[in-house]
Amino acid sequence: MTASPSERLARLSWPRVVFVGLVAAFAVVTIPTLVDKHSWTGVTISVAVTAILAYVYLTPKRIAARFLVPGTILLLAFQVYPIGYTISTAFTNYGDGHRLTKTQAVAQIEADSVIEQPGAQRYELSVATKASDTSGAFVFFLTDPDGKVERGDASGLAPVPDAQVTKDQFTGKVITAQGWHILTGIQVNGLGPRLASFAVPTGTGFIKSVGLSEAYVGHFTMTYDASAQTMTDTRTHTVYKESGGEFKAADGSGKTLPIGWKIGVGFKNFTSVLTDAAIRGPFLRVLIWTIAFAILSVLTTFGLGLLLAVVMDHPRMRGRRLYSSLLLLPYAMPAFISTLVWSSMYNKDFGLLNKLFGTHIDWLGSPWAARGSVLLTNLWLGFPYMFLVCAGLLQAVPQELKEVAKVDGASPLRVFRSVTMPTVLIGAMPLLIASFGYNFNNFNVIRLLTDGGPYPSGSSTAGDTDILISYTYRLAFGGQGAQYGLASAISFLIFVLVGLISYTGFRQTRQLEEVYAR
Amino acid sequence: MMKDRLWWRHLIGLAALVFALVPILFLVSAALNPVGTLSTTSLIPTGASLSNFSKLFHDPNSPYVRWYVNTLVICGVSAVLNVLIGVSGAYAFSRLRFRGRRPGLTGILLVQMFPNFISLTALYLTFISIGDVLPAAGLNTSLGLILVYLGGAMGVNTWLLKGYLDTIPKELDEAARIDGATENQVFFRVILPLAVPMLVVVGLFSFVSFLNEILLAGVFLTDTTHKTLAVGLYGLVSGNHNTDYGEFAAGSLLAGVPVVLIYLYLQKYLVKGLTAGAVKG
Amino acid sequence: MIWTDAQRAPVLQQFAQSFAAANGISVSVQPVATDLQSAYVTATAAGKGPDIVVGATDWIGNLVQNGAISPLPLTAAQKGSFQTTALNAVTYNGQVYGVPYATENLALITNTAEAAANPATFETMVADGQAAVKAGKASEALAMQIGQQGDPYTAQPLLGSAGGFIFGTKADGSYDPSQVGVDNAGSKAFAAQLAKYGEKGQNVFKRSIDANNAVSLFTSGKTPYLISGPWALDQIRKANLKYSISAVPGFAGMGPSQPFVGVQAFYVSAKAKNTAIAQEFTLNYLTKKDVEEALYKVDPRAPALTDAYNDVSKTDPDIAAFQAAAAHGVVLPQIPAMSAVWGPLGIAEAAIVGGADPNTSMADAATQIKAAIAKG
Repeated sequence: MTASPSERLARLSWPRVVFVGLVAAFAVVTIPTLVDKHSWTGVTISVAVTAILAYVYLTPKRIAARFLVPGTILLLAFQVYPIGYTISTAFTNYGDGHRLTKTQAVAQIEADSVIEQPGAQRYELSVATKASDTSGAFVFFLTDPDGKVERGDASGLAPVPDAQVTKDQFTGKVITAQGWHILTGIQVNGLGPRLASFAVPTGTGFIKSVGLSEAYVGHFTMTYDASAQTMTDTRTHTVYKESGGEFKAADGSGKTLPIGWKIGVGFKNFTSVLTDAAIRGPFLRVLIWTIAFAILSVLTTFGLGLLLAVVMDHPRMRGRRLYSSLLLLPYAMPAFISTLVWSSMYNKDFGLLNKLFGTHIDWLGSPWAARGSVLLTNLWLGFPYMFLVCAGLLQAVPQELKEVAKVDGASPLRVFRSVTMPTVLIGAMPLLIASFGYNFNNFNVIRLLTDGGPYPSGSSTAGDTDILISYTYRLAFGGQGAQYGLASAISFLIFVLVGLISYTGFRQTRQLEEVYAR
Repeated sequence: MMKDRLWWRHLIGLAALVFALVPILFLVSAALNPVGTLSTTSLIPTGASLSNFSKLFHDPNSPYVRWYVNTLVICGVSAVLNVLIGVSGAYAFSRLRFRGRRPGLTGILLVQMFPNFISLTALYLTFISIGDVLPAAGLNTSLGLILVYLGGAMGVNTWLLKGYLDTIPKELDEAARIDGATENQVFFRVILPLAVPMLVVVGLFSFVSFLNEILLAGVFLTDTTHKTLAVGLYGLVSGNHNTDYGEFAAGSLLAGVPVVLIYLYLQKYLVKGLTAGAVKG
Repeated sequence: MIWTDAQRAPVLQQFAQSFAAANGISVSVQPVATDLQSAYVTATAAGKGPDIVVGATDWIGNLVQNGAISPLPLTAAQKGSFQTTALNAVTYNGQVYGVPYATENLALITNTAEAAANPATFETMVADGQAAVKAGKASEALAMQIGQQGDPYTAQPLLGSAGGFIFGTKADGSYDPSQVGVDNAGSKAFAAQLAKYGEKGQNVFKRSIDANNAVSLFTSGKTPYLISGPWALDQIRKANLKYSISAVPGFAGMGPSQPFVGVQAFYVSAKAKNTAIAQEFTLNYLTKKDVEEALYKVDPRAPALTDAYNDVSKTDPDIAAFQAAAAHGVVLPQIPAMSAVWGPLGIAEAAIVGGADPNTSMADAATQIKAAIAKG
């Protein structure tokens, strides 16, 4: 059966056409801006997205894609792409001190090295242009402390006779000049980077503006030799050579300049994770606790959630709605707030828990108590979610099966084990795996509650409650500033690890599902 | 029938309530305490005063009402769209057969396992570029933040919804197809109405997760007037010194109110929704 | 556009407004709630940062190495108008990077109804505090915040008294990251004191006292002595106690206490879009005496301008007392290596207070710090 074009057109639903039309119109509007900015990636993305949408929604074939495309595009743009970008920085030294490009770093080192010439005078400055707008070239009118006026441009200074200008009677700043437009403060500011890079050369240095109406004489103390690719300190004549994304003194003193730049480092970040003794040492201990923490968090929250759901799952149980509304409260609070509240309740001397129970437990200060505290708080934060899920899954257990089992004389426990549990588990398994993955990387609760502590005697790298993510966060960000390259490499490795564990769990669930479901 | 005894159920229920409510009572007590800090407050309020609440509404540094509105808008819009996108995906995964279905399902779950705070920088840079072209969706805009949140719409929730759709008998949509309904009509007229309860559950879950979200929101929203409750409240306690816990506690308590209200309102759907959940056809 | 932390924003807003009105421009002050420093660095690198950022001077090293701020050419006269410590704090690699507006440091605050003010030594202070506890006037001898992670900033006055230091100094007085003093004899002497007064000893230093409760312990009368800074003044004044401010006492037979002197300063972004106006604001507006005095009125910290300080200290004895407490203070290090110190040193402090061996803990902290610096 082949449909004529007009029939095919008639089958198109109008909402879809309108939707695609809107997207196309949107693309048409944005593309000129993108072209203006030479953002060719942007243009490509914009065209590709429109084309895909048009293809999917205007042709009859791709029915599944119609339902998947919007979510997938968002997923690719805001989850997959950032992950890819992150992984790509794992192969660089990107981080504090290495954020700029080399060109930027060189320019910044030079700019930072400008010093005012000792004992040099300051000028009162007026900026002026020939034309009435600020787009063209501009010059400086400089009044020195004696009231002498000079005009400076990129070629140097030229004296200006007093007759050609009028000056402010107090400061001596030039107010009008023959044949020139003196710019207002706002116009001067509007010159932006052009003003910042403008310098009037003098014999030994240059004159630069500072603020709106002042200029000073300065000179560089660092100069870059582009052909030799070296930086030279003109005061000490130390030559700095490029080495690993920064400038290192060639005299062997090991001195480096503060500003470095971003370079590719290959697998260095990965190898340093795998070979660095400081990282490897506590790794196994941290990994074991991470897995234990994630599994126990899932088990306790699911266990309590299920228990409560079972308890509430009785037709004559009064006040079920009230119970479940109140039990939901821990979930309704922003988690970081609850965590702060818990952390103050755990305080050994002033905390609520010890006061209530009259105990002297060092909740956050001794290893096992701290681990317990973390799990307890995480249980509090997570059980309402599991409760909601379980409450639903329970009611989905086929009543007939239960009745049949009861008639056969099975004890309530037996019914629960062989009829209720399997159904609930199958339904909950994907969530449990997701919850495992979430807790594996549950940075916030550890960070806000214990920050990894307490620390075993004589070790300040890995605490007793540190999970991989909090431990590596400290490694990557707690040393000399943020080392994004290292952090990305570690994240990638953690991702692989938790992904593998989850994937295995996942495969097993599917087998389970196939056994029970059909 | 054997007469079930209910007292043990109430016993467990009450024990759970104590566990759930003690930290919250503590927060209430801190909110009512006019000079309190979290650590010196006891469970029973030492002084009952609403001064912290009034401070909250009159403090020009923390436009609380504004934050509240922002939060409701951002979380509400994101939750609704999140559900729509999630259920579309779930529908495709549940009802339609196509290449890459299994790997796709596994893939969207695995993507969620990446430690997300580390990809913040990438998102930040992405939205700077977006903001250059489309200022309305760049940094410091609710729209931008909503877009990021929607990136996760095809995630765990799709799984939850797919599980639910699997339980709706296939005969229903097949009958509709035989009657000449298009795939769209099956989705909108047959499946969606049946799935409403589960949509409500997922909507609530999404709403709560966006309400709690602070990492992305903290980076995206720097203008005081654009902030959400979580970010604004975090600002109240994250400064180094002079933390005003009373005001913070009061603000935190009020932040929990919408979730409870939504829950109370939707409870009838929730019970039913979860009832039908995961029934194998 | 100015970025600042959430607490200072309303204060700055007022000043920015008056400057803006005079120049016919508009200024927006944005409080950044989460990690202002790294947010600023990232935003600036992407060209989306503010023109001016306000922060403590220990940020300078990191901001400079990321090319995020530019030197400010202050005139010699302007430089001379600041207090020496304030000027030193904003000077890094021989360049001035910020305009300081207020200095802050720790001092001992005494509740004079419970114990004697201005104790001569740490030992007499503890004895007095313990007497107050015994008499039932208080429940803690001293509130010095430590927390589970330790707090090297608050520990510094006593570390200095015992002769310890974090970084040694070069010939020109600037800090040298290659000289880590955390495991020197003085630092170890300090560690021994930490253990002596720690939880297994006299139980004066406690990990349960942290940044959240230290000030409130004092304002609620539960302790006669508090080690804190000018930021606590507001709460203390509200509490209606009789208090007195003096230097943190040194240990008997050791040197005077050496608190860190931190300076709050304004920096101009290296990528500012309005460099000219930003420079005008910082160099010519903020350096005025009446502006700094007005800033003091809304945020009571010691002005960094000598003239402004002299005026203020006449009317506000607390400010003068804080300043006096820093007589032997040292500049809070601006070098990036400092970020490698806070974590390990704090953890060592907390561990020792909790009963760990002082010498091995300090040695371990030193190893960690040196390793982190060598890697960076």
